[in-house]
Amino acid sequence: MRSKRNSWAPWVLGAALLLAGAPPAAAEPDADPLEPLNRAVFAVNRVVDGVLLDPAVDLYNFVIPAYGQRRVSDFFGNLRAPVVFVNDLLQGERERAGIALGRFLVNTTLGLFGLFDIASELGLPPHEEDFGQTLAVWGVEEGPYLMLPLLGPSNPRDLVGLLVDGLVFDPAAYLAPTRLRIGRTAAEGMVRRVELDPFLDDLRTHSLDYYAALRSAYRQRRAAAVRNGRAPISEDIYDLPLEDPAEAEP
Amino acid sequence: MRTAAWLQRRTLLGLVAAGLVARSAVAATAEEEAARFIARLGEQALAILRRRDLDRAGKLAALEALVEQATDLELLARLVLGRYWRRATPAQQARFVALFRQLLRRGLARRLDDYSGQSFEVVGAEPVGRGDVLVHTRVLSPDASQPVVVSWRVRRRDGRLVIIDVIAEGVSLLITQRSEVAEVIGREGIEGLLRTLERRLREPEPAMTSPRPT
Repeated sequence: MRSKRNSWAPWVLGAALLLAGAPPAAAEPDADPLEPLNRAVFAVNRVVDGVLLDPAVDLYNFVIPAYGQRRVSDFFGNLRAPVVFVNDLLQGERERAGIALGRFLVNTTLGLFGLFDIASELGLPPHEEDFGQTLAVWGVEEGPYLMLPLLGPSNPRDLVGLLVDGLVFDPAAYLAPTRLRIGRTAAEGMVRRVELDPFLDDLRTHSLDYYAALRSAYRQRRAAAVRNGRAPISEDIYDLPLEDPAEAEP
Repeated sequence: MRTAAWLQRRTLLGLVAAGLVARSAVAATAEEEAARFIARLGEQALAILRRRDLDRAGKLAALEALVEQATDLELLARLVLGRYWRRATPAQQARFVALFRQLLRRGLARRLDDYSGQSFEVVGAEPVGRGDVLVHTRVLSPDASQPVVVSWRVRRRDGRLVIIDVIAEGVSLLITQRSEVAEVIGREGIEGLLRTLERRLREPEPAMTSPRPT
């Protein structure tokens, strides 16, 4: 099992790095050099979504009450705390690293193995960090937009981040048997999908081009996550260079 | 001559200082004003959503009136089209504004149906570029443990405050819509965009209740 994992990981990593090095970085916010391929993968993903994931999300929402859902998501959130902590440190975010560590200690003990997010009530709110963000802070460009099978929107930088987080930074990589980790990853993905569902639903119903809307939203989300809510977003979209003196309103 | 120059400089300094003071006073009130504007809008919207004496159509009409009053649709349409606005003929521009309005209405109807007891609070306001103010709010859902941070970009336009963008958890509605519009125009041109919007509007109205069990 273990050797099987190791046999594909370098391939994906290698391919991701290759892609990262190939076409120029996405300077244009809507750049998407692999769009035809991405759209094909997206079409397959949507079928899988409709057949498998949407019913699963509905079932989950139907069977598990909101209280239970919060316990599940708190539990998985706590399991991620070590990865958040390591990435905070790698980004030089000492204060946030302290918060992540404090959260893990409090929630693992007082919060009954993470089932209850006690730390939030003690003034230690959760935050997300991953190696994709760390690479961004280090100055690595995101590379071309990628639509991954099953996993959805990504890019070479975030894909490398995902693999490093899961295979290197996560203590479970060294502690838990592979089968358990696969189960956890699947469950985690499911919970994440359930959490995102209202947002995706909203985007799908209100968008003109769901693919383009999702691409834009993913990039904006990632950029905001990298900034940790500090620097402002691009400003020129709020310009109105559209008014010719000739057509200016009175 | 020298005295005059000195005087002049002193006056200039005085003027600059006075200007700075006035500016900061204006800025402070602009933020407060924008924050109040958003808070009041939110309260009005929630009041409409909670009204028992109105049916769905009545609520929708009231919400539409509220949105109409809090936005400048032509300004929004221009911002969404961005650089393509100028490439469009005046007739196409007018068609786009009209279609944009209808889509907004339809979106509002969907949001009305999706409403499930969310509440919100204004948590702050900050000045941003172009004289705009960004008003930060937190939206609390009864079934979510963490609130969603939603920021409203407010601009003064023709003597009234209007919302020009909504940014939810770092995702700007304006940027997203611009990406979509650019995508469709890149593929099918401006005429193609207008046809896509028309086709979208011909699709049946959204169902009144969400099929999703909650």
